[in-house]
Amino acid sequence: MAHFTDDQARAIILDAYGQVRSDGAAVASAFYTAAELETLPSDAVAMALGVGHPVRHAALRAGETVLDLGCGAGIDTLLAARAVGPAGRVIGLDMTPEMVERSRRNAASAGMVNVEIRPGPIEEIPLPDRSVDVVISNGVLNLSTRKSRVLAESLRVLRPGGRASIADLVLEDALPEDVLKSPAALAG
Amino acid sequence: MLLKKFFNVGFVEIEVVERTAFGLDELGRYPLFAPEFLQFLRDAIPTVRHRELVFSIAVTARRPEAIAAAPAR
Repeated sequence: MAHFTDDQARAIILDAYGQVRSDGAAVASAFYTAAELETLPSDAVAMALGVGHPVRHAALRAGETVLDLGCGAGIDTLLAARAVGPAGRVIGLDMTPEMVERSRRNAASAGMVNVEIRPGPIEEIPLPDRSVDVVISNGVLNLSTRKSRVLAESLRVLRPGGRASIADLVLEDALPEDVLKSPAALAG
Repeated sequence: MLLKKFFNVGFVEIEVVERTAFGLDELGRYPLFAPEFLQFLRDAIPTVRHRELVFSIAVTARRPEAIAAAPAR
């Protein structure tokens, strides 16, 4: 049962992720190695809010085009950019204006010229059909009230044989209704 | 449920390559959750579940080389 309409969910997410502040690496250090983190802009590390490490399982190759859905401040975008190298390309997509600005700044700070950040919802990917080799996403699918739509869009933009590496949260046993109705629970 | 969505839209070779329990301690790392909300969770959810509220999974999948019908846009 949906506890929020699409518009309500979007407003909650925009508000939460537009205002979130972090000055530590508590989340990032749980998923990424010290070697990975020490080469990244501190803001990308501090603002990592994912739930896994999709780049680790994406088997990225030099020259590939990668789409990072809900890229946030860009930690996975930057790691993917490093993996695909200068012949490759990484597109980060995020609907939160503050995160678009942060990830652009972090990409510039890291000197990643093969990164492009686009604003937009993951349910309407602003890319042509069959235009990317890999789709990655980290803790973002659970924020959408239209998960099947997101996956269908991901399939659409992937080239035949293209890959997806998605890290996300799943509920295996129901939580109390009061929790599920909480905006804070949706945003997290 | 999520894996079924991957299958239903047309992905193949769908595999869960990692699965990790997230409890209250793990949620406490995230600045998105205020201490008050974490206490609300602690009070609302039975103690036996405090160490396993949700699961983080890593899923890999592939678009087939040929798809019978293009997904609607």
